[in-house]
Amino acid sequence: MRLGPFLGLAAVILFFTLLSDSPANYLSMRNFRIVSAQTVIVALGAIGMTMIIVSGGIDLSVGSVIALTGVVTATTLRAGWSPLPALVAGVVIGGLVGVVNGLVVTRLKVLPFIATLGMLGIARGVAKWLADQQTVNVPDTWVNELAVTFPDPAWLLVAPGVWVALLLAVVAALVLGNTVFGRRVFAIGSNEAAARACGVATDRLKVWIYGLAGLLFGLSGVMQMSRLRQGDPTVAIGSELDVIAAVVIGGGSLSGGEGSILGSMIGALIMAFLRNGSQQMGWPTFVQEIMIGVIIVLAVAADGLRRSRATQ
Amino acid sequence: MRPLKVIVGALLASALLAGACGRGRSSNEFHVAMIPKGTTHEFWKSIHAGAIRAVRELETKGVNVRLAWKGPLREDDREQQIQVVEGFLSEGVDGLVLAPLDARALVRPVDEARRAGIPTVIIDSDLASDDTVSFVATDNYEGGVLAADRLGMLLEGKGTVLLLRYQEGSASTEARERGFVERVTQKYPDIELISSDQHAGPTRDTAKRASENLLNRFGQGLDGVFTVNENSTHGMLLALQDLGRAGRVKFIGFDASETFVQAMSRDQLHGIVLQDPFEMGYRGVTTMVAHLQGEEVSRRIDTGVTLVTAENVETPESQALLNPPIDEYLR
Amino acid sequence: MLTLSGIKKRFGPTVALDGVALELRPGRVHALIGENGAGKTTLMNIAVGALVPDAGTMSLQGDRYAPASPLDARRAGVALIHQELSLCSHLTVAENILMGQEPTRRGLLDWDQCRRRAADVLEQFHHAELRPDRRVGDLPIAARQVVEICRAIVSNASVVLMDEPTSSLPRADVDRLFAMVRRLRSHGVSSVYISHFLEELREVAEDFTVLRDGRSVLSGELASTTDAELIAAMVGRSVEDVFPRRDRAAPGDVLLEVEHVAAPPAVSDASFAVRRGEVLGIAGLVGAGRTEMLRVLVGLDRAAAGRVRVRGAEIRTGAARPWEVLARGIGFLSEDRTHEGLTLRLSVADNITCTRYGSCARYGWIARSEQARQAEQQMRALGVRARGPAQPVRTLSGGNQQKVALARLRHQSADIWLLDEPTKGIDIGSKVQIYEAIGEAASEGKGIVMVSSYLPELFGMCDRLAVMSRGRLSPVRPIAEWTPERVLEAAIGS
Repeated sequence: MRLGPFLGLAAVILFFTLLSDSPANYLSMRNFRIVSAQTVIVALGAIGMTMIIVSGGIDLSVGSVIALTGVVTATTLRAGWSPLPALVAGVVIGGLVGVVNGLVVTRLKVLPFIATLGMLGIARGVAKWLADQQTVNVPDTWVNELAVTFPDPAWLLVAPGVWVALLLAVVAALVLGNTVFGRRVFAIGSNEAAARACGVATDRLKVWIYGLAGLLFGLSGVMQMSRLRQGDPTVAIGSELDVIAAVVIGGGSLSGGEGSILGSMIGALIMAFLRNGSQQMGWPTFVQEIMIGVIIVLAVAADGLRRSRATQ
Repeated sequence: MRPLKVIVGALLASALLAGACGRGRSSNEFHVAMIPKGTTHEFWKSIHAGAIRAVRELETKGVNVRLAWKGPLREDDREQQIQVVEGFLSEGVDGLVLAPLDARALVRPVDEARRAGIPTVIIDSDLASDDTVSFVATDNYEGGVLAADRLGMLLEGKGTVLLLRYQEGSASTEARERGFVERVTQKYPDIELISSDQHAGPTRDTAKRASENLLNRFGQGLDGVFTVNENSTHGMLLALQDLGRAGRVKFIGFDASETFVQAMSRDQLHGIVLQDPFEMGYRGVTTMVAHLQGEEVSRRIDTGVTLVTAENVETPESQALLNPPIDEYLR
Repeated sequence: MLTLSGIKKRFGPTVALDGVALELRPGRVHALIGENGAGKTTLMNIAVGALVPDAGTMSLQGDRYAPASPLDARRAGVALIHQELSLCSHLTVAENILMGQEPTRRGLLDWDQCRRRAADVLEQFHHAELRPDRRVGDLPIAARQVVEICRAIVSNASVVLMDEPTSSLPRADVDRLFAMVRRLRSHGVSSVYISHFLEELREVAEDFTVLRDGRSVLSGELASTTDAELIAAMVGRSVEDVFPRRDRAAPGDVLLEVEHVAAPPAVSDASFAVRRGEVLGIAGLVGAGRTEMLRVLVGLDRAAAGRVRVRGAEIRTGAARPWEVLARGIGFLSEDRTHEGLTLRLSVADNITCTRYGSCARYGWIARSEQARQAEQQMRALGVRARGPAQPVRTLSGGNQQKVALARLRHQSADIWLLDEPTKGIDIGSKVQIYEAIGEAASEGKGIVMVSSYLPELFGMCDRLAVMSRGRLSPVRPIAEWTPERVLEAAIGS
């Protein structure tokens, strides 16, 4: 496991602790809860995105899928569904969108970038259509408590959604590292032609990857809805870039074959801590944007440097 | 090739002529386009309802108004709003009623409209242009002052207060923010504004995140909060509730929502400054029609601000503001 | 064992195979011989299920055999070792070897068994660098090739197809591979073996089939067939003299002087000079630093020390600015044709003219017709077989691609040609044409440096020769003072 992302995270936290006029406040459990709850949405997306990026693909439709699945869960809840089926509906819709992405990529031979760019528009449009161009308010159910900062019961320490994300991250890391499916995801990202020649059904595998990732994006959408207590078809615009940035900061390579779930999680945390820190320092938004941009470039450059040194 | 060109040219020319004739207004039939900043929020639905009420009233007077309602889905997408305006220009409406997302970005399209003979009434938020017919809006500065006075009263003139701004470039909320800040510094010397330079951003999610981060930093010694529109009030309310600080901080919000009324009854929100969007929509359309009919209209029409608190929430006046008869007019 | 008959395959308008028959007998090694573009690789892809033939039948051990996919073929006991490396460089050696048939236990990958099975096969090659847990991306090319071979062996195939497996292997590994092939044969496994090296084929194969233009033109036993007969069958004409005869006029003035150039770790010390009208050969083993030396001279990599003079004027070697070097009249032909030598997606015309667009452009605006005219001129001169200058290079055969790469040097009208393995992996017909072009260039007074691993070619073409060994370049001597044995000695030399 490479240390880069960890060091980055530690550096960000240290940086703000030193700058802050109340370090105790910044390092408090409460602040950690806030940041972790804020990270859930990007983190869940990043788990799915890691699989896709490792396999040599990309999915630009995440933000739209988050909005769509949030709206789906909100509408079904409002229509009187009980919470669990409504939640499942959101997740499954996410999975279906992923499967469609996968089929377009494999059957219609459209590059993932283009296929999912199309889906970015389609899913957003469908979300607005379903929501009747308005936000969809939901009745009070336990779904609303999933991403709450201070959970009830208190022994959970952090939001249930954070635990769910953590659990899924562990499962995904095991799947990627220790199952035939996982290793084949790496194989097609590393050299698709070779994997095909070795009898890997690459097309079917890709549909699976996009589908599985879609389920995670769907869950991410449910969490977004839970945080806002409403389905908002205009939410999460541009969050696909946050998700991709998390994977890239965590060591993922856009040319495929590389990436790790743990790294991506750290990447997501780095960005959340940066936003949190600079807001508490009272810095304007543009400072955060510049800093996140610089960190993305530095992370990837440092990784490349490390690698070229390793091969010498 | 050549005959084809001639035919196409002739067709185009006749279509243009027909369009031009169609525009020749018969003084009691108008096509008015109304362009809000967004479409998702209840505020805009109220404006829409008010506009429709104006249309119906005018109809009884024998004036036929065809109202087009279209806006950007997100409240920070200036480009999309400009495109909507331009779309109406090429469609050839008789007048525009516009709530500009940005005081400057929308000047060019409005100017182009005027040159094409299409007048514009500005509602809700000011435009840095003299080419408009009228500005129909809340006195937003006064709204900020109202909020400052309410907080000043609740805190008995001393304590620490946080202002969460909305977004750079939005004239209406900036006026509220200015009204609030100036009133606090002038009239309440013992109230300290500990943070007034952070922005909530366009959506509820960005507002909630910003609120959480600010509350963690300043939450402990904080006495009062003011947020300047529906989204940021929502975000701040969610953050206060999640962090268990709701009720312990005196909180004044802006704009109406069912959730806010509930929060006031639970003592988590201590006042909301309300505009009258229904009136704004209504006056926007009537002003435009009056102008189109050749009447003289006032350059500035104030639609008023009201402070609603737990004490006066049940009065008919407050109820009319809180629950504008949207359903009666929409669908 | 495996019998193919009447196999036909078209790709759009191109006929790749036009009736091929091949009979692989049990426990025999069968050499498949032919120029590049003759259809060998297509045939192998059909045998392994990666392509479906348009016509023809295949049978395996008497039964009808029609694999739908590589996986299908593998299950039937037919495995292919690819010509192009087809490994996943981010995965480990073990994972690559067992790809497609990973052992599992309760749904999880069984790493222990994975490593053990990989180690079992790897043991047969005593390769120090090959441990099951190493990342393939960190291995040298030769070791990667071994991984590729192990992958085919591990599947317990009864038929192994090898498509130029030795093209990037050093001799020691070639010997190990041949030992493997013989051991497989003794276990009753049959192999099809594709290679350009006739000497190599004679070492390992018993039977042969020659393909030309998509047809099988000659087959039989190698022992009773001469090289001349094989070459005649491949080329379709008898090859009297592969290397061009040229007047070795007294070399002219010095064009390029290289003094003690070093670029550690690959190149430690290299000095030589090239004169007008001569071909200087550089021999050596793969990995001796020859390619790296050329790259430094062209400015693709930085030199740590040394001086380089072009027509007496010094060029900066520490700066790595290839555009400056190219402007001085140096032309470079890369050994990596597909990645560095050519831009495959672009047209023949673009590839030929790209180093000197100025010849057909005004104010940055390329005159397409002029460009096409100049490209066609070069294509004619080198006998490039293509539909026209607008055809993408990607769709040409290897030999024709290499001719396009050389045509670029001609078009550039560079004075000094640095050629890195100019005939690597191409068919004999193309080789002959490339030799002719090189000879012609030398006669015109250009100075040529030719790096090659194929000794007959060096002896056939060069005026003088130096040998590189572990980063050091030997003194340059006239070709008459060298023998193949002395070259080998110098290459291995302590």
